Amino acid sequence: MLNEVAPLARPRIEVLDRDEIQEIHESSLNILSRVGVKVDHEEALKLLNSIGVDVDFNKRVARIPEHVVREALSRTPNFVRLYHRDGKQYIDLHEWNTYFVVGSAAYYYMDFRTNEVRRPVSRDLAEVAKVTDYLPNTHMVSTALVPADVPEIIADRWRMYVVIKNCSKPIDTGAFTLEGVPDAAKLMAAVVGEENVGRKPFMIFAACSSPPLKWSALTLQNLMDCARYGIPVHIIPMPQTGGTAPATIAGAITQANAEFLAGLVIAQFTRPGAPIVYSGSPTVFDQRFATSCTGYIEVGLISAATSQLAKFYRIPSGCYTMVSDSKTVDAQSSLETAFGALISVLAGINMAIGSGMLLEENCISLIKLAIDDDAAGSALRFARGIHVDAETIAEKVMEEVGPGGLFLKHKHTRSWWRREHFIPKLLDKRTTDMWKRGGSKDLNTVAREYVEKILREHSPEPLPPDVEKILNESMQMIARKYGVEKLPEV
Amino acid sequence: MVLVDDDLLSELREATINGDSDRVEELSRKVIEAGIDPLEAVEKALVKGILELGDRWINGEAFISDLIAAADAMKVGLSILKNEIVKRGGAIKFRGRIVIGTVEGDIHDIGKSIVASLLEASGFEVIDLGVDVPPQRFVEAIREYTPDIVGMSTLLSTTMLKQKETIEMIKQAGLRDRVKIIIGGAPTTEEWAREIGADGWAPDGISAVELVKRLLNAK
Repeated sequence: MLNEVAPLARPRIEVLDRDEIQEIHESSLNILSRVGVKVDHEEALKLLNSIGVDVDFNKRVARIPEHVVREALSRTPNFVRLYHRDGKQYIDLHEWNTYFVVGSAAYYYMDFRTNEVRRPVSRDLAEVAKVTDYLPNTHMVSTALVPADVPEIIADRWRMYVVIKNCSKPIDTGAFTLEGVPDAAKLMAAVVGEENVGRKPFMIFAACSSPPLKWSALTLQNLMDCARYGIPVHIIPMPQTGGTAPATIAGAITQANAEFLAGLVIAQFTRPGAPIVYSGSPTVFDQRFATSCTGYIEVGLISAATSQLAKFYRIPSGCYTMVSDSKTVDAQSSLETAFGALISVLAGINMAIGSGMLLEENCISLIKLAIDDDAAGSALRFARGIHVDAETIAEKVMEEVGPGGLFLKHKHTRSWWRREHFIPKLLDKRTTDMWKRGGSKDLNTVAREYVEKILREHSPEPLPPDVEKILNESMQMIARKYGVEKLPEV
Repeated sequence: MVLVDDDLLSELREATINGDSDRVEELSRKVIEAGIDPLEAVEKALVKGILELGDRWINGEAFISDLIAAADAMKVGLSILKNEIVKRGGAIKFRGRIVIGTVEGDIHDIGKSIVASLLEASGFEVIDLGVDVPPQRFVEAIREYTPDIVGMSTLLSTTMLKQKETIEMIKQAGLRDRVKIIIGGAPTTEEWAREIGADGWAPDGISAVELVKRLLNAK
């Protein structure tokens, strides 16, 4: 054993063993072929019919046989590369990499200046984008808020525009309109050029199935459009245990898997090789209050299982793990999110989504986003595990310092302490006295001041002037289609 | 020529900040060879460097291990330059002289060393007696070094009493009026300091520096 070169150990969790994965996989296939999936989209039904799927056009139900699923799986790329809007930097959703992502499409905003929960305006979204651009452990921004100061019909594309202008990182987004994806492709083309929309995508779209076992017309249109453009999509089944999914964890996972595979089939037969991420937003449907809860620890189990299934299929994974059910930024919002962060890295979830999110995925708080960035950094450090070699075991150093000595003065300390530890930006590590002299501030206050400082001092890399001009024109053209002439200043 | 002097001094300052004792030693010798005023080298390079790093540490931008390494490097430079200063009939002006040590029976080094480094980083001359220092040794050190302040550290509640015993012995030796005495350490409190007749107490390193400045200004 001693002579073998062992692979680097890395802290990992598995919540399903190999047989259990196989069993869930086979049950999903049974459900797809026997029960089927409701596909509320004429073109998709015709497509499925043409490849040998048993389609009931009256009920709009497709019973998908195993061989079709297998073919779809074999067409799916095993990694998704998401670029920054500069077309140079990128992240790879792949294997055990975890990237933290701001929660998307919240209808409410918790104003950090007043703590009021209200409908957001475009300026709020610009601030979320700007802060995310700065945060070191939040790797992807999202079209986090649905601004109330533009007509609803263009809000999906307007959010993209606002975020593109204020953040350089890859964007998690989605469309709520049939024209959403083609228009988004125009915005992307304005930034990276038409030829790079699918080659160097800097946006990934969410496509949520409608549990149980249903895909809506709008989502399918978006999914198929993205596949045609080569724009990545993360498919998000949203099982609610005991609501729209079985109350059992295994049942919820199996149903979600069937919905995912149905979406995957439609994407891969629309265009082979469509970049897809196996994502999810599982919730616990609380039988006491009829609420859809994101912060139950069982959500963590389902998320980890999603990642295992994704790895079983060799497809990148995602999950809404950074969310909380708390109504305010408090101990609950921090601890639920911290569990989520740790589960994400340990389960190798590639996109850990939901940073900054509260209220059943309906509200974004910049204070929570800042705190979540420390949770993300801590989790990433944990996942890196323990570096063991002669230098880190430090036998020689212990010999030099000797019994009763002090490592504080040794060179080894200076060269290794920084490398070994994740230094949180906000979590307080000072002495009580230093803390008192600093104003005895709690975490929320420290986070608020941090956010204010970022907004005061950080300016994201501006778009090149010619790019900005084309982007502005593209956005104006989209708005004009709907008779919208005046857009907010951002 | 002036340019060369400035380059050498700024290199020495950088080496001090980096805690690079070997480089500080080498550059200090070069300072003497180049005929630069050694007092100026101490003030503009060694002290300026350590003060700068001390500020960075207070702002959370440097590590305590960096500061201790810098303080050690500064001492290396001082020992070389001091002789030259004396030769030229000068003297280094410190903000004050402090004798410091962990009391008898206690071998905890860390708190005392941090305070010592922070004091050095604030421009004080520190004579560190080390750990497990018997009361008699403190008495001798007062005679030998004539410090402005004596600082005593302890981490254990069992050795707290040694602080009291040491103060008693300093009194008996008739030296109590010549020095201010300060104490610190995890089990100690302000009340304890008052009870044993110390002049001050500090809960952490930064407070200790402030305490020393306050006591010396009052003197």
